[in-house]
Amino acid sequence: MKVIIVGADAIGAHLAELFSKIKQNIIIIDEDEAKLERISSACDLLTIQSSPSSLIKTFKEAGVKNADLLISVKKDENLNLNLCVLAKAMGAKKTVARVENSEFTQPQFIEAFKQAGVSSIIYPDDLAAEDIISGLKMSWVRQRWDVYGGALTMLGIKLRENCTILGRPLKEVSTPDAPYHIVAIKRGTSTIIPKGDDMLLPEDYLYFMTTKDFIPEMKRLVGKEDYPEVKNVIIVGGGSTAERVVNRLPKGMTAKIFETNFARCEELNRMVDTSRVMVINADGRSVANLLEENVKQTQALVAVTGNAEANILTCMTAHELGVRKTVAMIENMDYMSIAGNADIGTIINKQALTASYIYQLLLNGDVRNIRDLLMVKADIAEFKACEGSRVTTKRVRDLGLPDSVELGGLVRNGVGMLVNGNTQIEAGDDVVVFCHDTNISRIEKIFI
Amino acid sequence: MINKRIIFKILGSLLNIEAAFMALCLVVSLCCGEDDMIPLAITVGITVAVALTLRLLGRGATNVLSRRDAYLLVTIVWIAFAAFGSLPFLLGGYISNVSDAFFEAMSGLTTTGATTIDHVEGMPHGVLLWRSLTQWIGGLGIVFFTIAVLPSFVGGSIKVFAAEATGPVQSKLQPRLTMSAKALWGVYLALTIGCALCFFLFGMSPFDAVNYSMTITATGGFATHDASTGYFNNAAIDYTAILFMFLSGISFAMLYAALFKGRIRHLLKNAEFRFYTAIALISSAIITAFLLYYNNYSLSDAIRVSLFQVVSFLTTTGMFNEDAAQWHHITWVVLSLCMFFGGCAGSTAGGFKCARGVIALKIMRNEILHRLHPKAILPVKVNDSTINSSGQITLIAFLMVYFLLCFIAYFIMILVGVDSTNSFTIALSCASNVGPTLGLEIGPTMSWSILPMGVKWILSALMLMGRLEIFTVLVIFTPAFWRNN
Repeated sequence: MKVIIVGADAIGAHLAELFSKIKQNIIIIDEDEAKLERISSACDLLTIQSSPSSLIKTFKEAGVKNADLLISVKKDENLNLNLCVLAKAMGAKKTVARVENSEFTQPQFIEAFKQAGVSSIIYPDDLAAEDIISGLKMSWVRQRWDVYGGALTMLGIKLRENCTILGRPLKEVSTPDAPYHIVAIKRGTSTIIPKGDDMLLPEDYLYFMTTKDFIPEMKRLVGKEDYPEVKNVIIVGGGSTAERVVNRLPKGMTAKIFETNFARCEELNRMVDTSRVMVINADGRSVANLLEENVKQTQALVAVTGNAEANILTCMTAHELGVRKTVAMIENMDYMSIAGNADIGTIINKQALTASYIYQLLLNGDVRNIRDLLMVKADIAEFKACEGSRVTTKRVRDLGLPDSVELGGLVRNGVGMLVNGNTQIEAGDDVVVFCHDTNISRIEKIFI
Repeated sequence: MINKRIIFKILGSLLNIEAAFMALCLVVSLCCGEDDMIPLAITVGITVAVALTLRLLGRGATNVLSRRDAYLLVTIVWIAFAAFGSLPFLLGGYISNVSDAFFEAMSGLTTTGATTIDHVEGMPHGVLLWRSLTQWIGGLGIVFFTIAVLPSFVGGSIKVFAAEATGPVQSKLQPRLTMSAKALWGVYLALTIGCALCFFLFGMSPFDAVNYSMTITATGGFATHDASTGYFNNAAIDYTAILFMFLSGISFAMLYAALFKGRIRHLLKNAEFRFYTAIALISSAIITAFLLYYNNYSLSDAIRVSLFQVVSFLTTTGMFNEDAAQWHHITWVVLSLCMFFGGCAGSTAGGFKCARGVIALKIMRNEILHRLHPKAILPVKVNDSTINSSGQITLIAFLMVYFLLCFIAYFIMILVGVDSTNSFTIALSCASNVGPTLGLEIGPTMSWSILPMGVKWILSALMLMGRLEIFTVLVIFTPAFWRNN
């Protein structure tokens, strides 16, 4: 499959890396030679250097007319939209444009954009905000991923001493009838796909599937009952992510935004609902400032400045000060595991979110939803089992799936259920697949 | 430097229009065959003569109106209108001295409605109509009126509009100023005609209906009877008056959108409108309670008179159907507060304006919040638009000057021996263009003829400043205004 990526900034580079890993033909276009060089040394792809004024000529060179997907992720949203329109006209099958404005993502305009030639529009800040909000709503969970509008949920949590299922073999605690299905454990730096004899230990980072009705029970089981509901949240850094977060703020939640730039403070005030959001012109990294704004009575802190180190440290400080839930935005993938081991509730990475979102477009239409789990170098995807596909022929334990693949759960006729060895998958089921270090397109084959 | 010729030219044209209105009164007078024919005819003659002289002086004027010209023009126009407008009273001998006559005309034009005539009912019809007409012209602004009728002659200058409009927030309805002016005057005319028809239906004579409707929609308050609307003692007329006073106190731009474009929800959601309505309802409730408890009114009477007085004071109309001097003194405080706040910006009402009230309250709230959150940036948002800090400072400065002027007027009146409560309410009443005063010496139903001459001139100036939002007039008295650079 041929994918053309325009723009080699963080998101473009991340996408290129992701796609080249799964052996797609990637062409990446940018004007900055140095950026291209950095990418081509790390991944197997073709780079084309082109000045912004001759992109169309470059498109021809790159062979847009037989491209399967064109992704325009440059900083300028208008350029992205225009490039998509032109690429589509030149023959690209699908196009994706990245924007920085929520007005472009309104549902009523999706069709108009499609007709113009933009198949999909992504707004990374909005994806990040959506994730942050879902993290705030369920403050005891580090990562959460809903399948089928919540019929099945995949949760990532950090285990503490007070967890009730520690220290016993999984075959005892996680029986086939248990209301949860553990799909992966991250212990230290290694990822374990659990077998019956494995045990859960404190400080483990646990991924499991469960259904909607059992979420409250799970909260009790893993010892997270003392997590308060988030009512007040402090946001450090008033960039566009913060703006999207407060515009999506659920009812009954109030927020304070710390922003050091005065002009930006005034701009924020114009764009947010000031009856629920207070903008504070101070540095949120300073403990004195946090204390002055009553951080101890705040249930959550979200650090979304442009600086990953600052975000991590601010979250750790807030944790020390007694904030139960912290969310840090981290652009730098290298910090991911440090941040995970530090006491940071949820980690948000805009590139990974965007990449996962675009990744779906590349796979067949049967893949509904896919997600990069960040912490464990694993992907989780939702596949539809087709009539006569291999997965429907045998019970799960007899399928002979590789060790790195786990079937977490399935949704049949809108009802979510967990999968165990005895489950027989039927055609039409939506199956949640967890795969560690595996090319997801290989798994795709058994569903077709 | 000041462009004298263009000012002469425009002033001349405007005086011609005033003469036309006077001629209308002359026609009424001729029909009635009363003794005001000759004074009115002489006035028309003098006004036209002066107007033509001014036109002659302003011949060949370059059609450029600078900001200073606009301020000076507007102020001079209002003073000239009052001066010529006082002639019918003087020449006919209905008012015996110049101070009273000028005060009466200025009170009319600024839609204040305070009168120096002790016995209104004895006046001939032509002059009574002239009194009401001065208020109706002054309601939306003299120059603004002319923009609607004769678009070309100020060159669609927004400066003049800004100098004369009421309130801080000016939203153009249409891309062109002339169109906006026409739209607003359309609303004004519709209100006036509607009000007159209702009054006529409820039993007023056509002459009274026209006069009362003009002074009510202008939120002026001149009446053709000494007892104002109390003369009719009719609930239907009272409630009609309440309704139209209330409507005239709403921003005409919002009324236009609500009436002609069906944006009623837009109006109901407006912060200023809500504030205005809330003041009216809360004040009425308080006064109703006092009337029931201290004055033994029946419930329906208490509601009717309290609502009438509150809306009349709040919209700075100054009509009355009951003598508020007989009420408990706390009700005076409530009514004084209503006088201070006034109607909405962009209406015919005077006062501090509810829009400013909303903003001022938010500024205060923010200052308090600031004590708790010293580093917070707290915006002042009204209807989703943010008032920037320079706008806030302007507003606070306006408030300061407003109080300072009231205080100076109060101080002078105390010096010359006017009753203290009266002095306070008279100053407030003039600065807010309301009309009646509350106090022990002069009641709300009485004329102000007993005030000393000098005080009347001061009050005339105060009324003019109140109508033109103070700074338009005040700026002319600064040396910087007259300096060349």
